[in-house]
Amino acid sequence: MAFELAFAVLLRLVLVLSPLRRLLKDDSQLSSPLTSYSRLREGIYLFREGINPYSGGTFRHSPLFLALFSTVIPDSEAFAAILWACVDVLGAWALVRIWRARGRVGTSKRDSLIAALYLLNPYIFLPSLSLSTSTFDTTLQLVSLMFAAQGQASASLLTLAFTAHLSLPSLLLLPPTVLLLLADPYSHLASPRPFNGKISKGLPLFAEFSAYFCSLVLASTVVSDGSGWIINSWGAGLLLPDLTPNPGLWWYFFTEMFDHFRPFFLMIFSVHLVIYVAPLCIKFQHDPLYAAFLLLGVLGIFKPYPTLSDPGLFLSLISLFPETYPHLRYPIVTTLLHLHAFLLLPLFHHLWIATGTGNANFFYASTLVFGIANGGALLDCVWAGLRVAMGEEREGYVIVQE
Amino acid sequence: MRWFAFFSLILVQCSLSAAHSGEEYHEELKLRPLPDGKLAARFAFTTLLKGAIPRAPTNLTVNDESQHYTLFPLAMGQLLREYAITELHLTLNAGKWDYDRWGYPEEPGVGSGAELWTWMGDGAPTSIDERWKAIQNAHAGLFCASLGSMDTQRTTSPTRAFPPTGDLPRLPAPHVHRLRHATLPAEHVCTENLTPFLKLLPCPAHAGIAALLAPHKVFDADWHGLGVHVRWRAGKGVELVMTVQAVFDPVRMSAERKRDWSFHSVFDRTIPRSCPVATTSLIHVELPPPGDGSYTLNPAPSTANQAVATFSISKDLPELDVTMKWGEESRFAYPLDASSTPLSDFSVQRTLKGSSQTHGQLSIVIRNNRPTELSVLYLETMPWHVEFYLHTLRITGPDGQQCNDLFSNMTYTPPVPHAQPAMLQAMLTLPPLTTLRLTMDARKSFLRYTEHPPDAQRGWDLPPAVFVTQSASGGASKRVYTPALLVDLATPDFSMPYNVIIMSCTLIALIFGSLFNILTRRFVVVKVDGNVPKVQ
Amino acid sequence: MSDAVEPRESPLKDPSGLFFEQPRTRRTIVTSYWIVVLLALPLWWSTTSIERLSLPVSRVHSTGLKQLHFPLQVEFDHNASSLSFEALEKETRARFSSLQRQSEGRLDYLDLRFVAIESTAGHPAATGAYGVSIEPSLDRATVRDRHLSVPVNEGATHIPFTLPDRLVSLLSPYTSRHPPGRFEHLVAKYAPRYRLAFTMLNEDAAGGRPVVGWDVQEAISRHLSPILDQVADLHNFTIESQVQFHSPLAFAPYEIKSDNEEIHGLTQEDLKVFVNSAEWTLSSSVSNDPVLHFILFIPSVPHTPLRILDNDHNPTSSNAFILPQWGGIVLLNLPPDTSSPPHLSEGDLAHTFSIFRTQLLKLLGVSDLPAGVEPADTHLPLTKWQLDTLYRQRAIENAHSSQETLQSIIKLVDQISNMPVGEGVRGDIQNALTALNMVYTVGWQSPIQALRHSSEALTHASRAFFNPGMLALLYFPAEHKYAVYTPLFAPVAVPLVVTALRELSAWRKSRRVATETKT
Repeated sequence: MAFELAFAVLLRLVLVLSPLRRLLKDDSQLSSPLTSYSRLREGIYLFREGINPYSGGTFRHSPLFLALFSTVIPDSEAFAAILWACVDVLGAWALVRIWRARGRVGTSKRDSLIAALYLLNPYIFLPSLSLSTSTFDTTLQLVSLMFAAQGQASASLLTLAFTAHLSLPSLLLLPPTVLLLLADPYSHLASPRPFNGKISKGLPLFAEFSAYFCSLVLASTVVSDGSGWIINSWGAGLLLPDLTPNPGLWWYFFTEMFDHFRPFFLMIFSVHLVIYVAPLCIKFQHDPLYAAFLLLGVLGIFKPYPTLSDPGLFLSLISLFPETYPHLRYPIVTTLLHLHAFLLLPLFHHLWIATGTGNANFFYASTLVFGIANGGALLDCVWAGLRVAMGEEREGYVIVQE
Repeated sequence: MRWFAFFSLILVQCSLSAAHSGEEYHEELKLRPLPDGKLAARFAFTTLLKGAIPRAPTNLTVNDESQHYTLFPLAMGQLLREYAITELHLTLNAGKWDYDRWGYPEEPGVGSGAELWTWMGDGAPTSIDERWKAIQNAHAGLFCASLGSMDTQRTTSPTRAFPPTGDLPRLPAPHVHRLRHATLPAEHVCTENLTPFLKLLPCPAHAGIAALLAPHKVFDADWHGLGVHVRWRAGKGVELVMTVQAVFDPVRMSAERKRDWSFHSVFDRTIPRSCPVATTSLIHVELPPPGDGSYTLNPAPSTANQAVATFSISKDLPELDVTMKWGEESRFAYPLDASSTPLSDFSVQRTLKGSSQTHGQLSIVIRNNRPTELSVLYLETMPWHVEFYLHTLRITGPDGQQCNDLFSNMTYTPPVPHAQPAMLQAMLTLPPLTTLRLTMDARKSFLRYTEHPPDAQRGWDLPPAVFVTQSASGGASKRVYTPALLVDLATPDFSMPYNVIIMSCTLIALIFGSLFNILTRRFVVVKVDGNVPKVQ
Repeated sequence: MSDAVEPRESPLKDPSGLFFEQPRTRRTIVTSYWIVVLLALPLWWSTTSIERLSLPVSRVHSTGLKQLHFPLQVEFDHNASSLSFEALEKETRARFSSLQRQSEGRLDYLDLRFVAIESTAGHPAATGAYGVSIEPSLDRATVRDRHLSVPVNEGATHIPFTLPDRLVSLLSPYTSRHPPGRFEHLVAKYAPRYRLAFTMLNEDAAGGRPVVGWDVQEAISRHLSPILDQVADLHNFTIESQVQFHSPLAFAPYEIKSDNEEIHGLTQEDLKVFVNSAEWTLSSSVSNDPVLHFILFIPSVPHTPLRILDNDHNPTSSNAFILPQWGGIVLLNLPPDTSSPPHLSEGDLAHTFSIFRTQLLKLLGVSDLPAGVEPADTHLPLTKWQLDTLYRQRAIENAHSSQETLQSIIKLVDQISNMPVGEGVRGDIQNALTALNMVYTVGWQSPIQALRHSSEALTHASRAFFNPGMLALLYFPAEHKYAVYTPLFAPVAVPLVVTALRELSAWRKSRRVATETKT
């Protein structure tokens, strides 16, 4: 596996330092206003010049990035390329470790396959090339799941606090992570049992997470000299001030929404994210890792400012659950829809923005197709996860729902 | 009883006493023939309220003293006192002032569109921004210009580039004077602005120099603009200067393509009578340099020296029509080397490059035409639609080398979406006789459906950048405006609000509903046997 | 539902045996969905509601039914007189009732009361009462404060005829020496603050003989300030003046020849269009206060002399006229012989400003004293009697106007269900109602109090009515709301509601079965 990882790092370095980077820089499918590298550089520049980067609307990253990039990491693109490649590799390594923890296996040939499925997934690969900080989000998420799968509570909660701090919707992954810490990561999809951990042991974990989270908030306030960063970075997901197109569903809806109903629908879309947490955790309490996987899928579709890496994380995580593959009902359709959307999204974006021969509706239609593709994948995975419990296929019998 | 009445009369008189001790009105017209055959004209109508002091903002709670004016326009007086304005500048211009060919204008405010800036003291019961809004609306009503859209999305406070031109009275601590500045580059000046402008003058249409202002000819000029400037000079009083500037093209208007001009040919009018209330009424004609061909000037001026000929309009003057003829020229020959001998100290070109609707690049090319080093203050006000990436600011010299050190002493206010424009003020040092290129990446925003104007495909106007030369010797600083830019922003489909709501909501409801059903419905095993499935 | 399948026959497990197929799990899941929905309902309310505070409708209606009556007490001092008090009272009442009938109810707020007193000093015994006495030592009738003194040697036969007339004229508002009923249309609408704009218009200063200045401040302080001080309880005044040097007329005046002299005249029709608002810059205030214009018009040399013509196109003797509710205009023809001074001194303006004074009093609604009656104190040209009458009339008008405004606000808010009603509007309405209550409870005691409270009520009611929030309508027909809400909530609500109902009925059935099996 080390050979593959080194190859992946080298490939990424070569591509980042090639003209491909110029093409992908600031592409709105690969980086959103919350994750764009140019905005990060701008914020650091303003910070160094003594201007509060949160007094305007350009910089929406967390103050921790500000602290990291203005002090520890030097300001050069080559170094940034190396850093991003390493972060990606760390994510792949964490994914492999989760697989090993789940399957209770050691090193095997499947490791390379899983690492390749992550590193060569274009949804993960391309945002990393464009130096979008969503790579950090996905890697930290995977590291948090890895620690939870290995049973290391403090490390897992600390990384989850970091993830939630960088991207607030990730806060929704706290319940399945706690459930995972209280139970085990092994696959119970085939033989579900009610949750056998103690709920009361979860309360100290919640408290620990809150402590980590609050201390991060405090550190950020100190770094940025005030609490203006909350409105700029977290408030962006709740108030949607920036309407740059992205592969998600929020931007065009709120571009065309009437002013009177805007606060109401912002509230509805945010509550809609929250409404999935409890049902998925209750239904999949026997396998919290699968519940976390499904919630990541939900976030990938319905997040306020998604990039391609959020559905990409969901698709790469499918490699952890081979027991569900026989029970997927329409994988071909979903794959083709994904291919369809993946080709149309940049094409229509280019037609609308760069050449001006297209319309905003073209790109909007391709985001709808992308949403259907992701939704189809999510629904199929939920069905397959439930269907595994009922045994193999048998001639002459089908299982339906009524 | 009579003493009482007399005494009370004195008291009443004191309480109603005038805020000023006299008024003076001066008229002036300055004509300057330009090397490329054009004629630059500048009308200035100055009214001085001797001894007057601007109203202190803290006095806005008590009733103001009565205002009695003879020459000063009452509408302006009411406006100035109602909002306690110390200094006010309003310009309405159309066209692009070519600094290289025409030199520097007499009045520096030549940015195209409407520009309004005021210095006001705080300490009033209403905030400065509320008074600023009310001032815009009052001016919009007074001059029939739609200035009301200068809201917070266009207002900035560039104190380094727009210092007060007069004096500011001292306010009780801790109150200070504040600047509010806004530009509307798309607001064009036309006859409906000139008519109320002229009505504010004591002698508008048939007497004095203002009789020359015929709307047809003034608005036919290559560049034309109106200006209203109010300032306070300590020791003198409140001064109101109303200006009309225009650059006419006699060559274009004459049949033989000659650059001879007269009042009749340029303004289509002459001065019939003098204004009875003007203290001075002067016409200055700048004489062309000696090598420029021989010319005749009729009638004979009152005074003349080598550079300027002055006509003074007196009370018993018959109709005055000044003409200047170049007798020996049969046809005007445009100078062939105009671009190599620019009249300005430095030339600026500003463009917004890039064909994408998400990103662009602001490019400024400055050329220093003088053999000495110049330092200029560069002011850029950008609405929030176009956001700069300051970290991409690069200055390239003529050989391609990077000289970012020529850019110093920067103040920057970042833009806030939907609220506040960006303001950048910095000092640029221009080495002698060099061309510098300044580039900066910019990002174009996406607006909400309701924020687009009705003609959304036209684009948005970006206000001009302002360059202020700082003369080390303490002389007057000159203000140079670049032309306004037009930026094309991506538009959503305006016919689609309900469609978008329906389609997005359908997708969300589809996924929600399907997920809900999978999670809550019962699984059953169905035996598929033959043709009829039987539930087992 | 189905029996368990033998494990030998098929590897498919019975789904109903799985724990996540248990009814309890299912119900927990449905409940968790519904909990989130119910928690979000208050947020829905807070993000889409329009602020519509409740208005005191009943108070407005009850205030609308009230009426204000001013008791007028006239004390007749019949000491040194041989007149019969009863005859005088009967005559005055008869004339007053006929005037009230003619006014169609507009004067019904006055209650006349006569009292005969014995008083040597001649001062009214009760405060606010009006005294009438017959003094032998006077040579003409005078009014001082609220006391009318009639000389006895006007003829014993005159008094029974003129005294009631004089009393009625003094007690009813809007009387002038013109036919009754015409005066009301001249009077400007009430406002707490007026701007008095004095403008001197030269028709064409450059054409020769310009007038470049005038001593307006001295003229105002001599002629108008005493009046303005006396009326200060009624209005505040802001004074401003300007001079215009080029103010052409929009029409050519009529030319007639009279006494071998060419006269230019303004016909009665021309007077209506005299003010050339297009070319003249008259004072337009930057605030909301109404402006009363007083214009001194100096015609140009070709149009001098300018006279006002009557209906037969003969020149009249007057050179001034009032534009109702707008202001007054005085024409000043400069003498043609001498080169007139370019500056009008205070002496030159004396006649003009006395005309302005008369016009101002008419525009404010101050009634003239009846014929033959003069003020006792020449330095105080307006007597308290006149002012009282005006205060009462203005108070009644203001109260009536406030009531109408408040009722129309209530009706408007009621009819337009989408109109927001903010805190400012409600506060203003409540203040107006408080002030109106004060008018009705204590206003009858003193006209000044009534005026103050009624003016306050009018200010608050107008401010509430013209509040910018009241004008912003939210145009949301019901179809628009359906179109926005339905696409998301209808498909989402259907499975939620159907499943909840199904689970509820299943739960009830299982409970019933459980209790049945227990028994």
